[in-house]
Amino acid sequence: MAQMNMVQALNSAMDIMLGRDPSVVLMGEDIGYFGGVFRTTEGLQRKYGEHRVLDTPIAEGGIVGAAIGMAVNGLRPVAEIQFADYIYPGFDQIVSELARLRYRSAGDFTAPVTIRTPCGGGIRGGQTHSQSPEAMFTHVSGLKVVMPSNPHDAKGLLITAIEDDDPVIFFEPKRLYNGPFDGDPNKPAVPWSTHPKGEVPEGHYTVPLGRADIVRAGAQLSIITYGTMVYVAQAAAAALELDAEIIDLRSLVPLDVDAICSSVKKTGRCVVAHEATRLSGFGAEIAAIVQEECFWHLEAPIQRAAGWDTPYPHAFEWEYFPGQARLAAAIRAAMEPA
Amino acid sequence: MSQYVFKLPDLGEGTVEAEIVAWHVKAGDAVVEDQKIVEVMTDKAAVEVPAPVSGVVLSVTGEPGDKVPVGTPLIIFEVSASAAPAPATPQPAAPAAPPPAAGAPVGVHGARIMASPANRRRAREAGIDLAAVRGSGPGGRILRDDLASGVRPAAQSAESTTEIKVIGVRRVIAERMSEAKRTIPHFAYVEEVDVSELESLRRHLNGALIAPAPALTYLPFVVLALARVLESFPQCNVLYDAARGVLVRHRAVHVGIATQTPDGLKVPVVRSAGTLGLWELAAEIRRLSDRARTGQATRQELTGSTITVTSLGKLGGIASTPVINTPEVAIVGLNKAVERPVVRDGAITVRRIMNLSSSFDHRFVDGYDAAAMIQALKERLEHPATMFIPKV
Repeated sequence: MAQMNMVQALNSAMDIMLGRDPSVVLMGEDIGYFGGVFRTTEGLQRKYGEHRVLDTPIAEGGIVGAAIGMAVNGLRPVAEIQFADYIYPGFDQIVSELARLRYRSAGDFTAPVTIRTPCGGGIRGGQTHSQSPEAMFTHVSGLKVVMPSNPHDAKGLLITAIEDDDPVIFFEPKRLYNGPFDGDPNKPAVPWSTHPKGEVPEGHYTVPLGRADIVRAGAQLSIITYGTMVYVAQAAAAALELDAEIIDLRSLVPLDVDAICSSVKKTGRCVVAHEATRLSGFGAEIAAIVQEECFWHLEAPIQRAAGWDTPYPHAFEWEYFPGQARLAAAIRAAMEPA
Repeated sequence: MSQYVFKLPDLGEGTVEAEIVAWHVKAGDAVVEDQKIVEVMTDKAAVEVPAPVSGVVLSVTGEPGDKVPVGTPLIIFEVSASAAPAPATPQPAAPAAPPPAAGAPVGVHGARIMASPANRRRAREAGIDLAAVRGSGPGGRILRDDLASGVRPAAQSAESTTEIKVIGVRRVIAERMSEAKRTIPHFAYVEEVDVSELESLRRHLNGALIAPAPALTYLPFVVLALARVLESFPQCNVLYDAARGVLVRHRAVHVGIATQTPDGLKVPVVRSAGTLGLWELAAEIRRLSDRARTGQATRQELTGSTITVTSLGKLGGIASTPVINTPEVAIVGLNKAVERPVVRDGAITVRRIMNLSSSFDHRFVDGYDAAAMIQALKERLEHPATMFIPKV
């Protein structure tokens, strides 16, 4: 099997879909001639032509609006928003048009649009290149929200998203593009070539939405997470020598409630971890579901480890980023004697 | 004003304890935020710890040289309410709370049972009443292991028996009774008292009461007489300090009133009974017994007696052998007052007779003194006017 980093895996997914389905088009800022700021679409315009891989103006509202129009007319657009931090000009189009098209037309029209966008911090990007706005989109009915944590899942999930007849917001944790990251910026970077999840089939395959991945089975507590925090969680639990069950949600909508609840019912303890700000973060939704479904199995209060409730800082990236220490504090609190 | 408890913070890099090197403040000092308050030494470095708030130091914990774990309350400030910071964000390295003090670890926080949802489900499924389970976790929380000691209702067992765990007040009673009987060589002394005159005084006083006022019982009279008599028998108004091998004589007479409550026997204390008049005694006894019966009596009101009186009223029987309320050396029991035929001046006559059944600690009270004390008490009760006449 091929070794790929996440950028290569995503490129492979789009390459395969462009090849398989003539209705698939890519569009975004600098994705064509230049190949994308993260090289995700490198070589695809050269291979499929300017009518399949479109460079757009710097106008996110226009990108999303055009994608909707193309989708309604039978295409299957994959739009890139260069950073999730730039998605807000397109937010009205996403919420008011894209998410509701099937509902508003009583099923006559669908909007098979995939919006790819790099998210998350850890790359010294400051407030305009580090945001994790996924919770806002989970709040909008009609959208599917996906965030892979490794090359294998990234390719399989992106293919599933492109093939889906409804809109999918596809978040790519940019800190994971080149390798897993355990939250310690002082350690040497680890490439995907040394990680089992860097093994990616060259051909077409899918990873279903709504199916979480049990990264590590364990008995003492459940850590529910996604994206970059998957690796921080593994490192924090290992440092505490705990037999933690670590669940990578992979898609937030649809959500694998069964995986979450059967794990928490087994362990009785739950920590939710994400990079995004804590207040009204997706962790709050998970905590609510867990207490609704698993209340009588809880040994201790559900804990959350998340970004602080501030804009992503320029200078204090590692004070903001919910690293191993913050996760360890949440884990310790969840391990209260019971 | 409010209090702010400053706990030894994690001073970085996973410190688990620190040694106090020097205090820069003491109780009563006013400090301002960021002022250096204490120097501590971790295994990595000496650290000057700044005050997190401005306020007045109420107390400090630990002496120079003491090693204290991270999370130990080091210093308590009094701060003005507006200045009190919000409860600190969870300290990453805060250790588990110290184990609860012995004697208090019932899994009830106020009126609420403290238990995780999982343990509540386990208890429900096993038919265990959490109210009967002692919690050994932080704050008295009921832990999973504690459930093993839980009570199962009769329906759960094939036998038609009910198991009642010996906890709380009942456990204290059991321990104290066992200790008293094990360590004190009791001797009982029973004497009959002709309370005919006392009864007529009592009826007279009760007859003059305005309707809602509660009637006098024998108890305040007995307490009044006892307080007078003990002035002459200081060896009976004594607490034995076994640890030091000392008998502590008390000038004041603090009379414990053995009281039946829904929880079991409690002994609220009438303090300095010798300084109170009859009506004051009656009111105080009533107040204390009510508080004991409704569970409102404070620890202060339930401790410190120097001698105890026990009365079962109409259930008083003919004679009893009361158990001494350690560390006291004497207990006086009242039996039922009934009219009996007695011989007076060669003729049988009807008199109201009440027995006094008392127990004494024979290590410290000789039979002679005990008998003399009870006879003196009898003398006062049979001639009630003498109760109100000071010792000559």
